[in-house]
Amino acid sequence: MSLVEVERGKDTFEVTMDFSDVMADRGEIETTLGYKSGEIPVHFSGMIDETLLQLPIRCEIKGGYRLLDISLPGGRSDGVIIGSRLFRTGPIVMTQLGKASKGALFVCTLGPLMEIWARRLLKSNDPALGYIADVAASVTVEAATDRLQAHIAEQMHSRGLKITNRYSPGYCKWSVSEQHLLFSLLPDGFCGVTLSESALMSPIKSVSGVIGVGREVRRRKYICDRCGVKDCTYRAMRAPRSAKKAA
Amino acid sequence: MEVAVRKIGECIERGKVNRTSPYPRDMLGQDGSDELTRQALDSGITAEAILQACNEGMKRIGDKFGRNEVFVPELLMAAKAMNAVMSHLKPYFQTGVVKTKGKFVIGTVAGDLHDIGKNLVAMVVEGNGWEVVDLGVDVKTVKFLEAVNENPDCRVGLSALLTTTMLNMSKTVMGIKSRFPTTPVIVGGAPLTQKVADEMGADGYAPTPQGAVAFLDRGAGR
Ligand code: B12
Repeated sequence: MSLVEVERGKDTFEVTMDFSDVMADRGEIETTLGYKSGEIPVHFSGMIDETLLQLPIRCEIKGGYRLLDISLPGGRSDGVIIGSRLFRTGPIVMTQLGKASKGALFVCTLGPLMEIWARRLLKSNDPALGYIADVAASVTVEAATDRLQAHIAEQMHSRGLKITNRYSPGYCKWSVSEQHLLFSLLPDGFCGVTLSESALMSPIKSVSGVIGVGREVRRRKYICDRCGVKDCTYRAMRAPRSAKKAA
Repeated sequence: MEVAVRKIGECIERGKVNRTSPYPRDMLGQDGSDELTRQALDSGITAEAILQACNEGMKRIGDKFGRNEVFVPELLMAAKAMNAVMSHLKPYFQTGVVKTKGKFVIGTVAGDLHDIGKNLVAMVVEGNGWEVVDLGVDVKTVKFLEAVNENPDCRVGLSALLTTTMLNMSKTVMGIKSRFPTTPVIVGGAPLTQKVADEMGADGYAPTPQGAVAFLDRGAGR
């Protein structure tokens, strides 16, 4: 089902998602915990069931994006200009966004309730359930960001435009401190997400980034071999399954 | 007597907390570390012998974790079983009959709110016989300095999850080392590496809670 978006300003949109729009994958929760398919002990599998019952109640999923002009600065800068601000994304992201005419700066969040619940359990009598709830929340916010990206693709398709993969500050050698620049171009408290001085988003289960938009762009495999981060989970776990990457 | 103690160690390794606990499946309806510790103490087994068996149980589950045979949930069940033992042994610690291995002050550095990783480390280190002083998240250098001042023999663990907050970590390491040069400091968190830890002047780095235990148990940095 299509998501309904609300305009929050010029070319700025917010969507609210139901858990059923997102459908976090149980198998993904198990593999993120470390277990091979079918090998998770029954007890922990029961904890995933319990978490899956809580997720629809405790997730207040919001996503949003702002469309801005994008261009390359020329010269020797490793970056892109989005909405007249220079983002020093590094060469990997720059190359991928090179053919885009617009950039969709986005944020997606689960809201704070899941992480509060997980933290409380972890500190109380049920640390294993707390940990599983935390992992499930991380998997869910990723799935929600996938859904937001699919929504942006649909919207752009109706304008005859295509989208690139999504890229997040803190990945592909793009410094996480550039979150400040990204948030400066979004409305205050966009989707209920705020940024701390140290570039940390609250709620924690949030993802930010940019997606290139244009006639000439396309989604492609992430070029992990050009990034030095060896223990990036996406390289380790997801590269073989899909060519997707964000936080 | 030996069998009773060995059983407690097994409960720790398997994460069997008490009789009503449904975990693990194959120990359903059996006594757990809670009941067995009470029984052992009542029958005259020393707190020290019980603690020794627990540490061995913790070591076995830690080794399995290191070999990827079990994962964090199993480790947390073991920590929970260990807590049940500790609640019975508390009076013995208070009177000094048994001693913890030492104090471990841990916190997530200034500007960072991530606590899952830090909490896991704290739980596993505590389960391995250390007294943990958890300072929480967003901990400024001065708070670490106060804690070291209050616990002069402690070791310190710092956690950070973003490269931006890793800079604050570096400042905190420097702060601790300049005032308390002999206090061992270990750092951890997703963006850390041994190289970065060395550059910061930390005494150790570990990617897992087990690594933190190994660092502390070998008396590293002292
Ligand atoms: C799941 C995840 C997320 C989830 C949830 C995050 C959360 N904290 O809850 C989501 C999807 C929301 C997310 C978002 C982002 N993420 Co993220 N995320 C991860 C991922 C894949 C796992 C983190 C995790 O929860 N691990 C599980 C916990 C238990 O592990 P841990 O905290 O690391 O702790 C363990 C060890 O490190 C160690 N340890 C921890 N502390 C200590 C202390 C001591 C003393 C010792 C010895 C050991 C130790 O023991 C713990 C238990 O094993 C990591 C990649 C990775 N491989 O770690 C990236 C990662 C942490 N994320 C990263 C980034 C950049 C982001 C974003 C900024 C991206 C973006 N622009 O949207 C955002 C920031 C979110 C925010 N609130 O600001 C980077 C951070 C590095 C950097 N460049 O700064 C990482 C490292 C990925 C990468 N690029 O390689 N993320």
